[in-house]
Amino acid sequence: MFTLWKLTVVAIKMFVRNKQAMYFTFFFPIFLMVVLGLINFDSATKFDVGIVLNAPPSAQTKQFIEGIKQVPVFEIHEGIESEERKALQDDKRAAVFIIPADLIPGPSEIKVLANANEPAESAAAVNIISGMLDKTALTLSGGANHFTVNKEEINSHHLKYIDFLLPGLVALSIMQMTIFTVAFLFVTFKEKGILKRMIATPMRPSTFVLSNVIVRLLITLIQTAIFISIAVIFFNVQIIGSYWLIALIAILGSLMFLGLGFAISGMASTVESVPVFANLIAFPMLFLGGTFFAIESFPTWLMNIAKYLPLTFLSHSMREVMTKGASFAQISTDIWWMIGWAIILVILANWTFSFEEKRQ
Amino acid sequence: MAIIEVKNLKKKYGPPAGGLTAVDNISFEVNEGEVFGILGPNGAGKTTTLEMIEGLKGITSGQAFLDGHDVSKDTRTVKSLIGVQLQSSSFFEGLNLLELLETFGALYNRKVDAMELLREVQLEEKAKSQHKELSGGQKQRFSIAAALVNDPKVLFLDEPTTGLDPQARRNLWELITEINKKGKTVVLTTHYMDEAEILCDRIAVMDHAHIIALDTTQNLLKLPGLSTSIHFLVDKPLDIEQLKAITGVTSVQSEDHTYRLTTDNSEATLSDLFKLSREAGVKLVDLQLHQPTLEDVFLKLTGHGLRD
Repeated sequence: MFTLWKLTVVAIKMFVRNKQAMYFTFFFPIFLMVVLGLINFDSATKFDVGIVLNAPPSAQTKQFIEGIKQVPVFEIHEGIESEERKALQDDKRAAVFIIPADLIPGPSEIKVLANANEPAESAAAVNIISGMLDKTALTLSGGANHFTVNKEEINSHHLKYIDFLLPGLVALSIMQMTIFTVAFLFVTFKEKGILKRMIATPMRPSTFVLSNVIVRLLITLIQTAIFISIAVIFFNVQIIGSYWLIALIAILGSLMFLGLGFAISGMASTVESVPVFANLIAFPMLFLGGTFFAIESFPTWLMNIAKYLPLTFLSHSMREVMTKGASFAQISTDIWWMIGWAIILVILANWTFSFEEKRQ
Repeated sequence: MAIIEVKNLKKKYGPPAGGLTAVDNISFEVNEGEVFGILGPNGAGKTTTLEMIEGLKGITSGQAFLDGHDVSKDTRTVKSLIGVQLQSSSFFEGLNLLELLETFGALYNRKVDAMELLREVQLEEKAKSQHKELSGGQKQRFSIAAALVNDPKVLFLDEPTTGLDPQARRNLWELITEINKKGKTVVLTTHYMDEAEILCDRIAVMDHAHIIALDTTQNLLKLPGLSTSIHFLVDKPLDIEQLKAITGVTSVQSEDHTYRLTTDNSEATLSDLFKLSREAGVKLVDLQLHQPTLEDVFLKLTGHGLRD
């Protein structure tokens, strides 16, 4: 225990004294958040939404459209399809909804033209509208009205880009911090013979690995707390879900990427090759993992790949909890997938990474 | 009493490494309290031998015991009894020397007086420095300090002075001698003859994965076939036949007033030579004695030089 305690303290000291690690763990993501938050601060407060009716609407449909008009984040434009399509192409609309004249649950469908240039806004608009449709359907089928509360939350919440960005950025930062700090550190240790020197002592390698894992889980929590605080204080972001759940997701995500970090440590034989491996894996996830763009805005084939990436589960569950107040049960699919990924990656790490020299 | 026993130790690397046999069936013992040297050229198998005894490398066949513990079975016990300096060891970045020694202490689950250890290796004024700020000699002294954190019974040093300047080497030799005087057994590898001669009580000479000689340093230097040569100048010529008749002399060469005798018994040859010169009334000037070195021993044993 003394060994583990001392090694953990040492790992914290090394982390804090490593300027590069500190920069990429804290300053860079904060910088990114501030810049992206400021840029989108105003433009994202209202979404331009187009509504197209190809025939005179029924009473039911009319009422529904009135409902849409009440949504405070929407700037509604009504027009004919060709005009609205043109506006969408000119980036004047986030999304255009083509609504059937007679809105009946089941057979009728609402066609959505989403602007791929404004994925966050279009995704949010689709979310809100589908929420309203569900409510309408429930009302029509005589269902109880207690779902209204949930719907009101969605409606009352001004979903700005920063709201969308924050969970993604938290997820991304966890990934970057764990993969890079673990891989750089352990490959340096391996290359310089430090690991070999350490196994010349009676210390168990697992103790050393564990101390580094503990430190990174701690940093994950601190990192997440700092980003959320900044977003809440300076950008007025509202965190709807449970902080405990956010912490749990952060730790699960961190464990998953720690496995990946150690796997890379095993594969990379020199420090120079660490960024090659790490970027090969992390870079695609940076764009496909739902950090900056909603994966729903991807072409189907790409979305089918993107939705199984470890980062996607982390950023998705984080976003569901932060912006929608999802419960554990609602994100359990993401949780299971993350546990699965963590197991796979830890097994991979066990297979590739070893304190001993490769030669034997 | 033997603190290390090595029996038929063998290390064979698998096909990826070319099926190389790095250490081939070697046996030796190291006595408690001695400085034991493994001498040989690069690639002879010195480091592999050391690392098998230290429990760092797997043993293909044979056995090694340290203080009665089987190295391959009680690996952790063995590791707690030894101090190890590897050929090239770095330490964590971002920690100063005191913190590094305390960390190493923790690896043995013990608290250490880091300052006292630094004092022992004369690095106390560097206590707050980082390892990368040290000179080559200081780095080696520090890694010896790190090897001493657990007050080991046996200290293993793998080529401790390679790459150091002469002054730093001498410092390190003194340090090693001091540590040995305090009762620690020292096992070191080297490819420097002078180092082995100065430090070691006994030497195992290794070449191509085998031990080709193992004896005390003095005995190795008396190996049959090694000869001492005696050079001198004279004021009047000496009779070559008389010189050849001197006890121990194996050959005589002369040029002008310079003579060179080779002998396998230098004490007897010298006393006879002095007697001869006195009787002949010849004055010997600038007499030099060239005793065999381990370099000669190695050449004699292997037929090739150490640096080939």
